[in-house]
Amino acid sequence: MKINDVVCPFCGCLCDDLEITVEHNRIVAVDNGCTLANAKFMSKEQLASPIRRTGEGWENISYDEAIQYTVDMLLDADRPLLYGWSGTHGEAQCIGVHVSELVGGIIDSTTSVCHGPSILAIQEVGHPGCTLGRVKNRADVVIYWGCNPLEAHPRHMSRYTTYADGYFLQNAFRERKVIVVDVRETETARVADEFIRIKEGGDYAVLSALRAIVRGKGDVVPESVAGVSRSQLERIVTLCKDAKFGAIFFGLGLTMTRGKYKNVRNAIELVDELSRHTKFTITPMRGHWNVYGSNEVFTWMTGYPYAIDFCRGIAFYNPGETSAIDLLARKECDACLIIGSDPGAHFPRGCVEHLAEIPTVVIDPVPTMTTALADVQIPVAVSGIDADGTAYRMDGVPIRVRKVIEPTLPNDREVLKSIHAKMKEAKGQ
Amino acid sequence: MKVTLEVKPRQKPYLPIEAEGIVPRTFFEGTDSLTVFRGNKELPLEEIFNVAIEGEAESVDEVEIIILGDSSRIKRVGEYMDGGRIHITGDIGMHCGNFMSAGEIVIDGNADAWLGREMRGGRIRCHGSAGDYCAAGYRGEKRGMRGGTVEVFGDAGDFTAETLAGGSVIIHGNAGDLSGVDMKEGELTIMGDTSRACANMSGGMAYVHGTVNDMIPTFRKIGQEKVNGEPYTRFSGDIANRGKGTLFIRNYKYLD
Amino acid sequence: MTELLIRNACVIDPLNDICGEVMDIAVRDGKIVESVGSGAEVIDAGGSLTMPGGIDSHTHICGTKVNFGRYMSPEDMRAGRTARRGHMHSTSGYSVPTTYGTSYRYSAMGYTTALEGAMAPLEARHTHEEFTHTPLQDMMANTLFDGNWPIMQAIHDGDIRRAAAIVGWTLSAVKGFAIKLTNPGGTEAWGWGKDVASIRDPVPHFEVTPAEIIRAMIEANEMLNLPHSVHLHCNCLGKPGNHQCTLETFDLVPNANNKRQSLYATHVQFHSYGGSSWRDICSRSEEICRAINSKPQIVIDMGQVMFGKTTTMTADGPMEFNLYRLYHNKWSNHDVELETGSGIIPVYYSRKNLVNSIMWSIGLELALLTDNPWQCILSTDNPNGAPFVKYPEIMALLMSKRYRNEIFGTVHPDTEHNVPLAAIDRELTWNDIAIMTRGAPAKALGIEDLGKGHLGEGADADIAIYPININETDPATSAEEVIRAFGQTDYTIKRGRVVCRQGTCMVDGKNTTIWVDPHISENYSMDHDPEFAKNFDRYYTVRMSNYPVQEEYIRRNLCIETEAQL
Repeated sequence: MKINDVVCPFCGCLCDDLEITVEHNRIVAVDNGCTLANAKFMSKEQLASPIRRTGEGWENISYDEAIQYTVDMLLDADRPLLYGWSGTHGEAQCIGVHVSELVGGIIDSTTSVCHGPSILAIQEVGHPGCTLGRVKNRADVVIYWGCNPLEAHPRHMSRYTTYADGYFLQNAFRERKVIVVDVRETETARVADEFIRIKEGGDYAVLSALRAIVRGKGDVVPESVAGVSRSQLERIVTLCKDAKFGAIFFGLGLTMTRGKYKNVRNAIELVDELSRHTKFTITPMRGHWNVYGSNEVFTWMTGYPYAIDFCRGIAFYNPGETSAIDLLARKECDACLIIGSDPGAHFPRGCVEHLAEIPTVVIDPVPTMTTALADVQIPVAVSGIDADGTAYRMDGVPIRVRKVIEPTLPNDREVLKSIHAKMKEAKGQ
Repeated sequence: MKVTLEVKPRQKPYLPIEAEGIVPRTFFEGTDSLTVFRGNKELPLEEIFNVAIEGEAESVDEVEIIILGDSSRIKRVGEYMDGGRIHITGDIGMHCGNFMSAGEIVIDGNADAWLGREMRGGRIRCHGSAGDYCAAGYRGEKRGMRGGTVEVFGDAGDFTAETLAGGSVIIHGNAGDLSGVDMKEGELTIMGDTSRACANMSGGMAYVHGTVNDMIPTFRKIGQEKVNGEPYTRFSGDIANRGKGTLFIRNYKYLD
Repeated sequence: MTELLIRNACVIDPLNDICGEVMDIAVRDGKIVESVGSGAEVIDAGGSLTMPGGIDSHTHICGTKVNFGRYMSPEDMRAGRTARRGHMHSTSGYSVPTTYGTSYRYSAMGYTTALEGAMAPLEARHTHEEFTHTPLQDMMANTLFDGNWPIMQAIHDGDIRRAAAIVGWTLSAVKGFAIKLTNPGGTEAWGWGKDVASIRDPVPHFEVTPAEIIRAMIEANEMLNLPHSVHLHCNCLGKPGNHQCTLETFDLVPNANNKRQSLYATHVQFHSYGGSSWRDICSRSEEICRAINSKPQIVIDMGQVMFGKTTTMTADGPMEFNLYRLYHNKWSNHDVELETGSGIIPVYYSRKNLVNSIMWSIGLELALLTDNPWQCILSTDNPNGAPFVKYPEIMALLMSKRYRNEIFGTVHPDTEHNVPLAAIDRELTWNDIAIMTRGAPAKALGIEDLGKGHLGEGADADIAIYPININETDPATSAEEVIRAFGQTDYTIKRGRVVCRQGTCMVDGKNTTIWVDPHISENYSMDHDPEFAKNFDRYYTVRMSNYPVQEEYIRRNLCIETEAQL
């Protein structure tokens, strides 16, 4: 059986034109997807039952036992952390917020290790953005800054920018200028019309210089800024000002390098400045397929996009203090529930060590690096494959990911619902 | 009135204690049931501290709180403080002196991040070093510290005096990256080195008596001027932000 | 079966011509009935003012743009936080509260139904998700059609029936309630960083004018037999001299429906400015109201501005950019492909500021100079003019000349030379306020027959009991009393259940989404239109099959099925 227009639960592009072939409740072929999508849909290793660490290995336990363990762990803790959320659907994230609020814990998503700085910047100066179709149909100048879509978002350029024809650009590849800004010549840089190579740590200075030049104050700018000549900067500004519609996309090369959110703020203020001359927009290249969904859900439920501390009843927000990495590095939490993320694979060592020290439960379909740190793992259906639900694309467009095969395991929202119900019971509510 | 709070050893020493109740006014007005929080658990003050109160006070300014022991994870001490004195003999946790409007906080050791956040008045003296966001603002808020003085005798971390909108901040050692970033008013003095000082500033005044590394390229050089008899370069900016701030710098280097 | 009897209610129910009669109200299974048995639960209202639940017919509380207002404003979030308590979740925010915060605060004020003012069809799922978490109000969504490509093309081709068919398909796909036009044509021009200057200024490339869009949409609206009329945010919002544009727009409106208005013009305060710049801006409320008074086919809401901090948010992207350049505070913008745009900036309306003082005055003038209260609904265009929690103060300002004078004395001293407010003596009555917040919005939205906005037999038992005795209180001299009473009900009853008691919400709640599904003949169905489908998959970035809002998003819902003349 072929299923059309399937949504891919891998990256923030949320491509929704995949064709999946299912035979005997197994996915046997994926068409239209990138290699990352294929790998995700075709992956087979899934835990069959919850497991608990014993002295020397693991034992199978029932869902009831695993859920009870989680409830007890969270209720016993003084400062529990509920982390992850980017790999699950919105309905589960909603229940996650309710659990955090009820137990008085901290809820944070992988945002704090990817585009958290973008959010901090947006909170200072706002965000002139648009949906991706606006770029596809109109943009004649596209800038990729500190990101490498060909590797991280493989279909971004073919669906939305370089190779995507649109209403006002019938031959996008010829009519659209693509500029890449990075500290090294990436694969994406090689297909760009113009490449700006910046010295490491120099993004902020270059952005400031561009703003001054847009304002007509280029005379203050030195001959060379972070490895970029003033003449190249001037050429870029002319290109941008002459654009009918310009779009900047940026990635971790801007958010996670020296200056972090101030880099992003500077980029946004460059777009503000350009907006006085022509149309310009800016969009973060969100990584996980539903990381933006976690921000949306947390925001309407708690008022804040990530790193929300309910320990005092009211919601308190202060990334740098209430964000997962900082909490773990400073050992400021004493239990952890992880869902829809694999911090064991990419958190700094100190954080991972603390995770191993405190009681930790992982809700995840497959064994991951985090499993090695956990006391209990609860396997679940995979959102977008055998569980459906809402996801938010990198530009904020909500799309429902589908269930293409029948699940054999409960899904995230079902497991969280049981945890919530048990917890309410324990609290006498 | 002298209030001595000695931190007791705790089973989970890393879990922070939130103690915004520790301000002179609380003790001046009398407190039978002051509580602090360890995560989501509300505890009597006495469970965390040995408490001793001596003498009386006629006004809040006559109250002195002395904190002894390991207070490096005690947060929010002196929040909304409006008079009196707090003397911390060791290190202090985050958010010490948030929103403080009057009085004095003296820290013999180091202060963690957000020392004097959104301060309105009064004085903080930190004899050790301060963490990131010393004398800074809150997320999304345009204006940070608005009045008073923060003086750090050691070094300060990154984003020192971010969005400064009044008052003065003096760092005797070095300050980290992006000190004075987005500042609007007020005065920032750094006796040592820093990097990318006053990026995107719109107003205010800053002195760097050491070296500014990776100087922001969008400040206009006004010329050489003498400060205390020494030659300094005077800058105006940040031009990228239509800024009208003033910068006096002893030495600077661009990232060219 | 559950039964409830409210005794000694002093009822104002304008749709049923009841004004201050002390009576009992019987409720069975969520509906108003003639009588109930002796086993019914009894609430003694003790002569307190009792009205149908409030209806906000234009507010921004759910969806992409609203959530972005929260997302970008941690400083607003920390300004209004409460912890979890009983059935109430924790809340944050002042001008853009979390969904629960919004729902609880509206409920405490006796509001039981609300229309989200602007939903981009592409992002409709988001709005519906937030509806689910706004549990104590029944919700509807205005659906944006101001820059819709296939519709503009159909209008350009003179094919209004096709335009109507696309509207019908979209409303039913995204579970929308009504046609919203926000700066029609302007949001498309904003795709190039431009705007339209008047209703005769053609939209770049599409070569249709705002006037043509407005006219065509009014016609399409009636072809589809929609309950509500076209809901219009006029062009040129917030610009000095824009009253001309507003008056010209009003002149376009035929009297096309004998049950309700043919055009709902929203937040008209922002569209009633004289002058040619910020230096000589003045009120033109008198001319605007003269037009309204002579055109029963138009209903407006006020868009009152109140002093203090708030957040402006609208689909009107270019207008928000102009505001940004004025205030130089943070600015967000979000254009939606093929459909519309939006912008958000925080603002502070200061009574020391002449322009802000004039705005404050104009809103009140509109309500006081519109002869027929059924034509002017109370609103702040929440949160654009002010957060909705300011409604009680607005009611007091309208009911008391004395209170008005008192506040007028605190605004910018030059205000009086630029506005007629000081010369207006009218004081609205309790009945007028009930009309402006219950009867009129229900009628204008076309939901009175669904049992909204009144307490007649068969109506939904959405009831607000306010702690005030109207026979003992003269609103003209007791502004404080009025503000206190309207600020918090004794009881807010939703579908026959007490949902809020003196500010405390008593239940988790579950709301109803009201939407429309126009039945369109096969010939006009966009599901089988190859041209529509081809362009859809070519220019949108979401496949046509993934676009409609699935059933999962509208759990409890009320679908209004209409027969389209197509």
